[in-house]
Amino acid sequence: MSTSTLQHGSAAEHGHDHEHGHHHDLPWYRKYVFSTDHKVISKQFMLSSLFFLFVGGAFALFIRWQLAYPGQAIPIIGDILPASWATNGVISPEFYAQLLTMHGSIMIFFVIIPFAVGMFGNFCIPLMIGTDDMALPKLNMWSFWLVPPAGLIMMAGFFTETGYAAAGWTSYPPLSAQTGLAKFTISGQTLWTISVFLVGFSSIMGAVNYVATVLNKRAKGMKLFDMPLTVWALFITAIIITLGTPVLAAGLAMLFMDNFLHTSFFLPDNLVTNSKYFGGGQPILFQHVFWFYSHPAVYIMILPLMGIVSDVMATFSRKPIYGYKAMVFAIAGIAFLGFIVWGHHMFQSGMNPLLGTTFMLSTIVIAVPSSIKVFNWLGTLWRGNIQFSSAMLNALAFVSMFIIGGLSGVFMASAPVDIYIHDTYFIVAHIHYVLFGGSLFGIFAGIYYWYPKMFGKMLNETWGRRHFFWTFVTFNLTFFPMHILGIGGHMRRIYDPNVYDFLKGLGGINETVTIGAIALGFSQLILVGNILWSMKWGKKAPRNPWKANTLEWAAPEHPGHGNFDMDITVYRGPYEFGVEGRQDDYWPQWEKGASVTVHHHTIAVADDTKTFGAH
Amino acid sequence: MDGFFSVFDMLAWFPENISTFGQELDNLFAIIYWVSVAIFFLTFGVLGYLLVKYRYSPDRRGYNYHGNSVVEITWTVLPTLLFAAIGLYSDDIWERTKYSSKVPTADVEILVLGKQYGWVFLYPGADGTFGRNAHNDRTARSLMSATNPFGRDTADPAGFDDVMTENQFVVPVNANVVMRGSSLDVLHSFFLPHARVKQDVIPGLWMTIWYNLFKTGKYELACAELCGGGHYGMRAEYEVMSRTDYDKWLDARNAEVNAARTPQPAPTATTDTAAVASLR
Repeated sequence: MSTSTLQHGSAAEHGHDHEHGHHHDLPWYRKYVFSTDHKVISKQFMLSSLFFLFVGGAFALFIRWQLAYPGQAIPIIGDILPASWATNGVISPEFYAQLLTMHGSIMIFFVIIPFAVGMFGNFCIPLMIGTDDMALPKLNMWSFWLVPPAGLIMMAGFFTETGYAAAGWTSYPPLSAQTGLAKFTISGQTLWTISVFLVGFSSIMGAVNYVATVLNKRAKGMKLFDMPLTVWALFITAIIITLGTPVLAAGLAMLFMDNFLHTSFFLPDNLVTNSKYFGGGQPILFQHVFWFYSHPAVYIMILPLMGIVSDVMATFSRKPIYGYKAMVFAIAGIAFLGFIVWGHHMFQSGMNPLLGTTFMLSTIVIAVPSSIKVFNWLGTLWRGNIQFSSAMLNALAFVSMFIIGGLSGVFMASAPVDIYIHDTYFIVAHIHYVLFGGSLFGIFAGIYYWYPKMFGKMLNETWGRRHFFWTFVTFNLTFFPMHILGIGGHMRRIYDPNVYDFLKGLGGINETVTIGAIALGFSQLILVGNILWSMKWGKKAPRNPWKANTLEWAAPEHPGHGNFDMDITVYRGPYEFGVEGRQDDYWPQWEKGASVTVHHHTIAVADDTKTFGAH
Repeated sequence: MDGFFSVFDMLAWFPENISTFGQELDNLFAIIYWVSVAIFFLTFGVLGYLLVKYRYSPDRRGYNYHGNSVVEITWTVLPTLLFAAIGLYSDDIWERTKYSSKVPTADVEILVLGKQYGWVFLYPGADGTFGRNAHNDRTARSLMSATNPFGRDTADPAGFDDVMTENQFVVPVNANVVMRGSSLDVLHSFFLPHARVKQDVIPGLWMTIWYNLFKTGKYELACAELCGGGHYGMRAEYEVMSRTDYDKWLDARNAEVNAARTPQPAPTATTDTAAVASLR
């Protein structure tokens, strides 16, 4: 890549015309705060997501305490809780509803999506396609800087009369649309809608940027099918975001107006309520609009991690990905199907049962591309030379937990089975197996894998493994028993299961889950400790510590603004490990050399004037 | 220790089933469960084998192999067939339990309303027909209020004997019960765990809920849709009664209704309890 290309982004912005790498004359707040460098933005996303991970986690632990020990005071911190939360250390039912709403909303909108799409999208895309920065760096900066205000707005619900939003992260009206408050009152619910609207905007800005970058800024010689699966997954995710998020925005705008201006998009006639409103609306409409975005959103939360896990697994198995193109098509297939299955969240909602049939069949079809992915990951391990690094362990956890989460998904995809398990802890178990067991383990894998390139230091492997071990064990201790709670009929979002006779036998399981959850929460301190400790005292990272093939490892140890210190030309696909006829067992994409493909094998040949297809 | 191992027998944790279609739903759950268990052990077995067999060794290198179309098509087609079979079988059951065309002729018809935080029920009473109310006449919806949740028209003689109950209801055993459910305020979900029944009820719409219970006894109704702070306490009890007990219960309610009513021309044949019972 020529120097002029490298400078393009910064020159256009600052009007400077100096050599790449000489950006230390930028004021500090342009370098570390309002930076347009994709790597800095990525780190910002990482920090804010880590912060919110602990906020959301703390909310979850309150919930767990109440379920395991209903009516008992929370130890240690119980006495210092504000009066609107708890009396004598026992949290109130109203606050419990706020807790579960905030836990879900924060984990989804401020942890998983910013981690998966914001952090990895920003870090990986430009580096892995061998370019200096995003196509639209300023837009990129704004996509991050909408997140902290949005977070603060959501948390500001605490200061309103009614407290935080309390209608669940799904915020189904009429509960979320008529709070009994006067017109123009700011409530937790209105703040919630504004906040989610803003993060949605942040997502859209990021996504437009990713699509533009992937299509326009790939290094010389890089065809679409030379891109690593991480980039493919993020690219397809970005397309989902641009198509789905505006629909959510429309739904949120209507919900906001119902709350704030007392319109009636979602409020039917003759509600028995104190609020004044017009009526004539339709509550189920919101569910359609909401899930039209929010089902694709679950793929927004998992597809990028599927890509990351594929890269990590190829590198540490020292093997090409089994069925690279099938993997790409499976991601695209899941993304497409994601848009025609939203009704499976609404089997019992009062939607016409005829539609239940349609949505059940389309949902079950998703199991097919998902199993293709799992089989291809197993195929990647086959005849590999597997190194159990922290990144690899987390990637393997992703695959195995995704199998469990996928299988439990088949239960609720089957509409008649869903009659019983809908809105029970079985669903809660499922969502945590895919979003924690899947997404979060994938995120950990990505952090362990790319940390050396992000900070120029290696993460501590011993503590990495300890973190993995404790997380994996306590994760299963926390979430597996939830399946049993669900089969026992334990409804989700209830404050006190002891009210019901048929749930009396489940107290022990609720306690187990809570103990697991507390241990799981504290295990995450190891990760934070490791990240902070290694930043200062970690071993210096070499340029290509994992001996991987993709372009980010061609960049310097700790790349500055502009990323690369050499011209990048791509000669082959991203997964050429163990190529016959080569000394090294890896063959980076940027290294010159010719090869031929014989029976699905790549063989290096001496003639370096011609390059044959490497796939 | 027994308790510990029971964790692995997930199917044993279901509450006892008491409805006719419930067994079918449980069986379907069991089928998917055993298929899942098989797939789980298969994939985890393969995964464990690969991880041990191909663990790192410095004298080996990974095998450069990009995949095989025959293998990949096989492992695409097999899950497709398996999942298509599950889907089609599920749909068959779904149609029979939920399609409105498959709702059986009602032996007993009850209206139910969810409200923050409780349930109210309306029986047609001695004459076997409901008076004008928010269910059978849209215009009566404007009468709905906290004190008159069903929007009953007090001027309609057919409604004089309608029986309303709060947070409890009774149904006869081995009878097709058809309920029409709605809500006064926010979404609620009518959940009978033992009967394997769940249906959201929505303000402004009436949902059909039907079941046929084969075992007498007292059971619980829960709300399964977050409806506010008091959601957890939205519990009601119901009793499945033998036909004789049910008729007795109805007659007792009928007597109460008559006693409570201001002197009005009595509805037809209130004293003939035998005839009343046979109407249902």
